[in-house]
Amino acid sequence: MTSVLRLTVNGRPRADAVADNVLLVDYLRDVAGLTGTKQGCDGGECGACTVLVDDSPRLACITLAVRCAGRRVETVEGLTKGGRLSRLQRAFHEKLGSQCGFCTPGMIMASEALLRRDPDPDDDAIRDALGGNICRCTGYVKIIESVRAAARMEEPA
Amino acid sequence: MTAPAKKKMAGVRLPLIDGPEKVSGRAHYTADLPHGDALVGRILRSPSGHAEIVRVDASAARKLPGVAAVVTGADCDVPFGVLPIAQNEYPLARDKVRYRGEPVAVVAAVDAATADAAIDLIELELRELPAYYTPSEARVPGAVNLHDDRDGNLERDVHHEFGDVDAGFAEADVVREETFRCAEVTHVHMEPHVSLAEYDPGRDRITLHTCTQVPYYVHLSVSRCLGMDTSQIRVVKPYIGGGFGARTETLNFEIIACLAARAAGGRVRLYLSREETFLTHRGRPYTEVKIKLGMTKSGRMTACACEAVQAGGAYGGYGIVTILYAGALLNAIYDIPAVRYDGYRVYTNTPACGAMRGHGTVDVRYAFESLLDIMAGELGLDPFAVRRANLLTVPFETLNGLRINSYGLPECLDWVEEASGWRDRAGETPSGGRVRKGFGLGCSHYVTGAAKPVHWTGEPHAVVNLKLDFDASITVLTGAAEIGQGSSTILAQAVGEVLGVDFSRLRVVASDSAITPKDNGSYSSRVTFMVGNAAVQAAEALRAILIEAAARKLDADPGDVECLGEVYRVAGSQDPGLPFNEVVREALVDTGTITAKGTFTVPKEYQGGGHRGGAVGSTMGFSYAATVAEVSVDEDTGQVTVDNVWVAHDCGYAINPLSVEGQIQGAVWMGLGQAISEETRYWNGLPLCANMLDYRVPTIVESPPIHTRIVESMDPNGPFGAKEASEGALSSLIPAVANAVHDALGVRLTETPMTPDRVIDAVIRKERDAKRAAVPGAA
Amino acid sequence: MHGLPEFHLLHPATVAEAVAMGQEEPGARFVAGGTDLLVNMRRLIAAPPTLIDLTDVAEMREITVEDGTLVVGAAATLAELAADPRVRRTWPVLATAAGTVAGPTHRQVATVGGNLCLDTRCIYYNQSEWWRWANDYCLKERGEVCHVAPGAPRCWAAFSGDLAPAALVMGAEAVVAGPDGARTMPLDDLYGDDGATPFRLGAGELLTAIRVPDPGGLRGDYAKSRVRGAIDFPLAGVAVALRRDGDHLADLRVALTATNVRPDLVTGTETLLHGPLDDDRLSALERLVGKQIQPMRSTVTSSQYRRRVAAALLRRLVAGLFAAE
Repeated sequence: MTSVLRLTVNGRPRADAVADNVLLVDYLRDVAGLTGTKQGCDGGECGACTVLVDDSPRLACITLAVRCAGRRVETVEGLTKGGRLSRLQRAFHEKLGSQCGFCTPGMIMASEALLRRDPDPDDDAIRDALGGNICRCTGYVKIIESVRAAARMEEPA
Repeated sequence: MTAPAKKKMAGVRLPLIDGPEKVSGRAHYTADLPHGDALVGRILRSPSGHAEIVRVDASAARKLPGVAAVVTGADCDVPFGVLPIAQNEYPLARDKVRYRGEPVAVVAAVDAATADAAIDLIELELRELPAYYTPSEARVPGAVNLHDDRDGNLERDVHHEFGDVDAGFAEADVVREETFRCAEVTHVHMEPHVSLAEYDPGRDRITLHTCTQVPYYVHLSVSRCLGMDTSQIRVVKPYIGGGFGARTETLNFEIIACLAARAAGGRVRLYLSREETFLTHRGRPYTEVKIKLGMTKSGRMTACACEAVQAGGAYGGYGIVTILYAGALLNAIYDIPAVRYDGYRVYTNTPACGAMRGHGTVDVRYAFESLLDIMAGELGLDPFAVRRANLLTVPFETLNGLRINSYGLPECLDWVEEASGWRDRAGETPSGGRVRKGFGLGCSHYVTGAAKPVHWTGEPHAVVNLKLDFDASITVLTGAAEIGQGSSTILAQAVGEVLGVDFSRLRVVASDSAITPKDNGSYSSRVTFMVGNAAVQAAEALRAILIEAAARKLDADPGDVECLGEVYRVAGSQDPGLPFNEVVREALVDTGTITAKGTFTVPKEYQGGGHRGGAVGSTMGFSYAATVAEVSVDEDTGQVTVDNVWVAHDCGYAINPLSVEGQIQGAVWMGLGQAISEETRYWNGLPLCANMLDYRVPTIVESPPIHTRIVESMDPNGPFGAKEASEGALSSLIPAVANAVHDALGVRLTETPMTPDRVIDAVIRKERDAKRAAVPGAA
Repeated sequence: MHGLPEFHLLHPATVAEAVAMGQEEPGARFVAGGTDLLVNMRRLIAAPPTLIDLTDVAEMREITVEDGTLVVGAAATLAELAADPRVRRTWPVLATAAGTVAGPTHRQVATVGGNLCLDTRCIYYNQSEWWRWANDYCLKERGEVCHVAPGAPRCWAAFSGDLAPAALVMGAEAVVAGPDGARTMPLDDLYGDDGATPFRLGAGELLTAIRVPDPGGLRGDYAKSRVRGAIDFPLAGVAVALRRDGDHLADLRVALTATNVRPDLVTGTETLLHGPLDDDRLSALERLVGKQIQPMRSTVTSSQYRRRVAAALLRRLVAGLFAAE
């Protein structure tokens, strides 16, 4: 069945005709045109598709789009305000938390969820929060450094 | 106002030039490209591991409304394969299927549901043949050959002996032999495979966007298999989500996408699932390594003999190179007087193996460094002392004709010994608990670019063009594939270092066959060295043009003009000089847009010994690494936890230390996966772990801190002294962990990965042996 | 990349509505977090025509304490359960077990009911449509043979939820709603003996809550074996609850997961009570568990290892809990 899905994506209200079986990742990429959210596995195994729904992290590849009705969905594109990188984006860039960049959107969104609930996480808290996000390039060392660095930065005004 | 000075660009911790796009989600990977009306491609894959194809009937599928094309093996009779001497794979199987999951047909349809329905309508009739999943099964006398021209399913056997090995063993105080088994592993780059192919029927042209490390090889393969002139093909590599060697050869789906696009007369998007990405494979083969070393009481090696058997999978791919690398790289890390190698690459009915980070050397290095530790233990020598007893001195030519000009292994050893506190813990008594601590050392090396390219064309190994135009910006045009390793950043830094301009003037355009110079691709850690040297040469050529122009304008002799990056002036003078923009304006008079070119070719003397297969392993510079791992092993659960890693890597010179650290960390961590958790498994040829749950790439939770040290040995041939930085350290980590596990448990695991079940098996063996030893009279 | 097969999604607001929808829609499946079912649907293991979404059923989302009894709604998330201060204080084993499920992002939506009713898992079952087709499917789905034990007349897929053993040792009851109203039964009775039909739920019935009694002096803990520190299902999971009376063991309960087709409450532990916890008793306990544990070749890791590690975790948990007082 197809119904009209109303929600906000990166702060913008949207209304789209969406079938019940459409996954959030496909809605974001194919309908909303936000291809920053990646799909790295066949469902729920890698974390690359992590987005925020009402501030909480979600695996968009096993989330039904229609289940986000009335909610605030945020993707990696939404963190950049007025063309300026958010503190996490900047830190992942400057500290080389991102190499090939494919896990990065999910990694940054999972980190964003963490910093919103715990502004000053220690390494264990970072490891706990990112446990479901696989990166194949970095060995995670510089990802942890990036999250730590971001926690010390101000968001751009 | 400060005096003008050239900007320092080499040796700077610069974030990646394409980083902002990646962290903001604006980077377009192949799957992110606008594909509007593209047809959806789906592949029918073989359910059988080894069978003759009796019939493929796609007539019903072709009639299904919404199906634009169905292509089968009947439509392409040209085989492909990265090595010109081993092209034995069809994009879609023709006579036989040789592994479960091999592509048999492709459907292009208006949507995924239609494509899936069409796949179900294709009738596939097979006549089963005996299938072999291990080298020993495949080599049994009388086994059916996978390929008619390879009797006994032996793709290649290698027999090399340098020096007098038997005499070496006779001279030794101790000779030991041990056999090690390494499970097959695979790359698991985060981006699943995907191609977007567009056929233009009016012009008979193909444009292919694909996730490759080697756009040039893909270009050649598409041309061959589609019977199209190379001029009618354009290959573009967008952002790609990692490669690690998986994408260093043309992969079947890339040709299949083009075949489907041409048949459909339009655009086809072939987006493989993670499972299909696993099936495409090209990972590190299952390898049995039997290794024998002779050693004097002081730890000096007298001889080495090694036999390696690899389960190569169903097709050639890079197989011959892999089995040759495994032998060639027994050399060039230590000074060994005699080396014998017997290698066997065997065809099996499993997905084809290929190149994976540390190509060819990793499993052999694990075995070698493990045996070194075993023998050090027997002789009562410290593992560091054994390595130090066998160091070489540069310049050095190995027994098999490899040249070494820079050698930072001694410094690497010194640093990891110091940083890990190795000596302080020598007197520690083991704790009595069930969780035991251990420390282990491993060393490794790797090539900096294969000295001989796969296709011998007589062309330079690398070409870089620089475009300078009216806007006074400089565009670096390179075919080198940026795959996340930072190659575009390094090339910009190399150009920037020579020209000294503001970094903001530089842009890199990479990997579009219509625009950029041909490059052999991103593999064997060749880009920084070869393309970097070409970039330096191009920048020097451009600088010469600019100096000439400045001299004209300043009315000076070019020899007197100095380039200060943003300013050109007469050397030593106090005048403000000419700003860059003015120099550029002058340089463009009468000529217009300037293209400066640089090339690089590996001199013949670096292309390896004259023996058969001698080109493999040859390179202009070897990187070196030493790694110490600290582990905790739980004797009850068998869990191995790597608590800390100290790694020092000699990369010659770090053009970008930030990036080099990232590469080293990524490399040793990928070794960690192979050491403790990763393996593909097959059940009657069906992959049991073709997903990211059962194929266990380490998570952040169990990944240790990695303490990294860059050692700079300043290679005389590298750009600014630089060598390889992203593969060499991998193979030191696996033996470091194995040796640490032995240190912790007092028992030696001779298999990877060291998963909890394998550790427990070893603990059980140890306890059984201890019980037997306690019974008087027991043998 | 493969999306989901088509279905119709219903959004009941109450348990009664959910039950009514379940009766009206043949082949309907209940879904909450979707971390199990949607993954299976992406692989075409299941393709129900209708999904009944339980996340808006407010009465199923609550975690309350009534007269010392903990009542956890089946649609409460594992993250909520793991973070609940009352649970952490009085029933910490539940929080521990919930906190080890999958990865942190899964736990944001994965529910208590979903984990208790997790479909059984097997390497011959949790594979793609192509894979299962190439393998002639299996007894659990469309096929005729159990590839784990080809001679067996039943399915050996293993129950792999982490929460069930923890709830079992704490004496949890299952509250089930159905066409005939609600019923409460021991949680143990929710589980059957065949991996193909793992739950004893009637047509249109659904688990709405579990009730966990006041532990009294009973203290529990849970440990799971897995290769990685996150994401992985258990290779073996053990929950223990015990009560100590001076130097004696006054109560002991053990439950297992991922080793059998059902989460098993080990029987016969009462024979080990009323004595000191010495090596003999621990060995006797190990033997007891050894007789009831039945790991089969349903994971990539050997059954022998899973048997051995379960015993090791068991010893450690019992000793740790006994010593903690």
